[in-house]
Amino acid sequence: MNNKTITKINSYLSFNLGDEEFAVNVSKVLNILEMLKITEVPKSPEYMKGVINLRGIVLPVIDTRIKFGMTPTEYTNNTCIVVMEIEMDNDIVQVGTLVDSVQAVLELQDSQIQPPPDIGNKFKSEFIYGMIKVDEKFIMLLDMEKVFSADEIISVKEKTEKGEVKIEEKEQVIKKKKVKKSKSKDNS
Amino acid sequence: MDKFRNKFIEEATDNINDLEDALLLIENDPEDKELIERIFRAMHSLKGGGAMFGFNTLSEFTHHLETLYDLVREGKYKITRKLLDVTLASVDHMKALLANDDLDAADLRTIHTELSLQIRKLIDNDNEEKQKVVIEKPQNDQSEVKSYYIYFEPDSDIFSDGTNPLFLLDELYTLGECKVFAHFNKIPEIEKIDITKCYTYWEIILVTSEDVNAVTDVFIFVEDQCKLEINEIADYDIIQNIEVINQISKIAEEKTDVGVSEIQKIIKDFSSSKKQSVSLDEMIKMKGPLPSVKENVISSIRVSSEKLDQLMNLVSEMVTTQARLSLYAEQSTDGELLTIAEDVQKLSRQLRDNAFDIVLVPVETMLTRFQRLVRDLSKELNKNIVFVAEGAETELDKTIIESLTDPLLHILRNCIDHGIESPEIRSQLGKPTQGKILLKAFYSGTNVHIQIHDDGAGIDPEKIKNIAIQKGIIKKDATLSKKEILDLVFLPGFSTAENVTGVSGRGVGMDVVKRKLSEIRGVVELESEINEGTTLTIKLPLTLSIIDGLLVKIANSFYIIPLSVVGKIYATDHENVVNKYNNLIILDGEQFPFYYLREEFDLPEGEQESEQVIVVSYEDNKIGIVVDEVVGEYQAVLKSLGKMYKNQEIISGATILGDGTVALVMDTNKIISKFSQDMFNS
Repeated sequence: MNNKTITKINSYLSFNLGDEEFAVNVSKVLNILEMLKITEVPKSPEYMKGVINLRGIVLPVIDTRIKFGMTPTEYTNNTCIVVMEIEMDNDIVQVGTLVDSVQAVLELQDSQIQPPPDIGNKFKSEFIYGMIKVDEKFIMLLDMEKVFSADEIISVKEKTEKGEVKIEEKEQVIKKKKVKKSKSKDNS
Repeated sequence: MDKFRNKFIEEATDNINDLEDALLLIENDPEDKELIERIFRAMHSLKGGGAMFGFNTLSEFTHHLETLYDLVREGKYKITRKLLDVTLASVDHMKALLANDDLDAADLRTIHTELSLQIRKLIDNDNEEKQKVVIEKPQNDQSEVKSYYIYFEPDSDIFSDGTNPLFLLDELYTLGECKVFAHFNKIPEIEKIDITKCYTYWEIILVTSEDVNAVTDVFIFVEDQCKLEINEIADYDIIQNIEVINQISKIAEEKTDVGVSEIQKIIKDFSSSKKQSVSLDEMIKMKGPLPSVKENVISSIRVSSEKLDQLMNLVSEMVTTQARLSLYAEQSTDGELLTIAEDVQKLSRQLRDNAFDIVLVPVETMLTRFQRLVRDLSKELNKNIVFVAEGAETELDKTIIESLTDPLLHILRNCIDHGIESPEIRSQLGKPTQGKILLKAFYSGTNVHIQIHDDGAGIDPEKIKNIAIQKGIIKKDATLSKKEILDLVFLPGFSTAENVTGVSGRGVGMDVVKRKLSEIRGVVELESEINEGTTLTIKLPLTLSIIDGLLVKIANSFYIIPLSVVGKIYATDHENVVNKYNNLIILDGEQFPFYYLREEFDLPEGEQESEQVIVVSYEDNKIGIVVDEVVGEYQAVLKSLGKMYKNQEIISGATILGDGTVALVMDTNKIISKFSQDMFNS
């Protein structure tokens, strides 16, 4: 939040999830950790992998692949936990995200960032705020706040034949949110 | 400047609270001089501070109140209910002024004018009476001159906030004739003198017609920064007596301090030749009450709660690190290391206990608000209710106290509105017309219990049952024990009030109370007898940040079960707990329902031959929970799982073990209630 008002940082950390490459602004990234022992929390959603001890802080870890509707992360030597700081319901929250491998830090000018693709294309645009092309490969810039504010598993990749189903899912998510909001109003 | 303003607001809030407190106390004991003094002092500080920091409206407003209470103090005005009503309303207004001194809001301005008018009316009323008194006064004045001995030693750093002690002496001169003896014996050698420090102190003999309060008021702003002693030494003018003064000056020159006893001795020697003699007994009596008020030694300091939170965090970290050290030392063969580790363990335990003690706050701090609520609300509802608190010195973690106030206010509101009947009904029932609400706080093991008891109408179980059936909460033919019926009031959307009042009965009520309390790991119990009253018992942990727990293992994960719920631990054969349809186990000839946690947590069935059954208490029942292995006792520093896990109910937090792994803290109550629901639903 403050980053925007002070100076915009133009560095992006890129990482792999499966075959796709994604990137986030480094202002959101606090740490990159090697795999640690994750303590599973029973009875929680599948994408919530558990918690780790980060220098005395209990940090939740999310399997980003499951969150994005891919198969669960398989642990390899390259698997990393990227600790990010995101804004959630007006609070700053730290969260660890599992990625298959960390690639590089890219310096990008705003002019290099292309607008997100429209719906109907190969990728769903809600969680992507831009695309960049590096060596004939597309890297998607993720909006982590939006990714984590969705309760359900989301699908970044959207195949056209499944398009309708996914949109329904999306609507359900929105509906749920509305219910939650009205509930919280009742309480207040 | 803002920094100072904030400091003032903080201090003023304290003063206002103190004022409110004293006002409520004085209602029961209108003659108490000390309380009047306290009220006056609070007002005086508010006025002075307000003017200094630009809260002019507040200052001016308080000034009028002060004038009024000056009359009370002089005994010219009696404390009446009307007076207290106006003052309490003014106190509320002062709180508002503190937040908004400019009278921006229109309603604030109306209140301000209204209250100012009422205060002026009260003062004017009084002036008529005062006239009569004033007429008599002048004659008294001459004969009623008194001599005071004042010992005034400012703290050496008094200059640092711009106070000039000489101005205070000047002010004394305005009260009457003074004889000042300055002492310079504390001034160090010239090369050691720090010019920013004050080394001089004074002994003063003051002859004045004003009373001792006027003298004390001169020093009101430096009270905490000096050693001050004010004693009445004679009820006539001793400065007139040259011999006495000469003798005192002689001693003052030779000796360092003259001291009150010395002066009194001299006076006594001379007064035996004088017409009036003051016996020693009387002098002691005169001396008696004053020093106790004035000898202010700093016994406490003000620390921001942020710093305390920080301290608590550090202590928690320290306990965690110490657990690591102990673990490492045990594994090593170095005897020296082991000794050090044990010492560190001992120290950190002491440090922890001390630090936790610091953040404990007595229940008393909440009581003023409750007193006020009971007073105002009972008046509004035309009920006669007295609020009594027992065990107010019981201490609780400050975060618990903070989150406890609102639920308790709600409970009290219920007691006043629904519990206690109107005086007419009470007398019909043969009860004393005055209802009583008793708040009792006491320790019970590592818990604190807070009980709120009213001697009102009580809750009719039949009525509750009917409402519950009407609202479809329970089935018509359901058989419930009385306790189960009473517990229905804690369900959302349940209100027994037949007509909704502004006070309670909106259906959000007891369920919110219960939820709020469970957030601080509190448990509520309700007991009630028709026409005898209702008792609500809240059981609370002493502190939130550390718990004694039982460390257990399920699959590869460690869990902590709060020791407070653990009854017994049994070992049993594996086949006793799996593939049972009734989920009952017989241990020691007793039958327990149980939950096999591996199964409930969707983990594969364990392979070991014996299982551990931990019998925990759940409400009034004992229920077994089955784990793989019991590791031992563990002091768990609680950490939150964070916002991402906000929907996770059965785990109340996490803690970090000596080797750095994370153990999850189970909320057994939630686990049992959740799994028993699941079972019914499936």
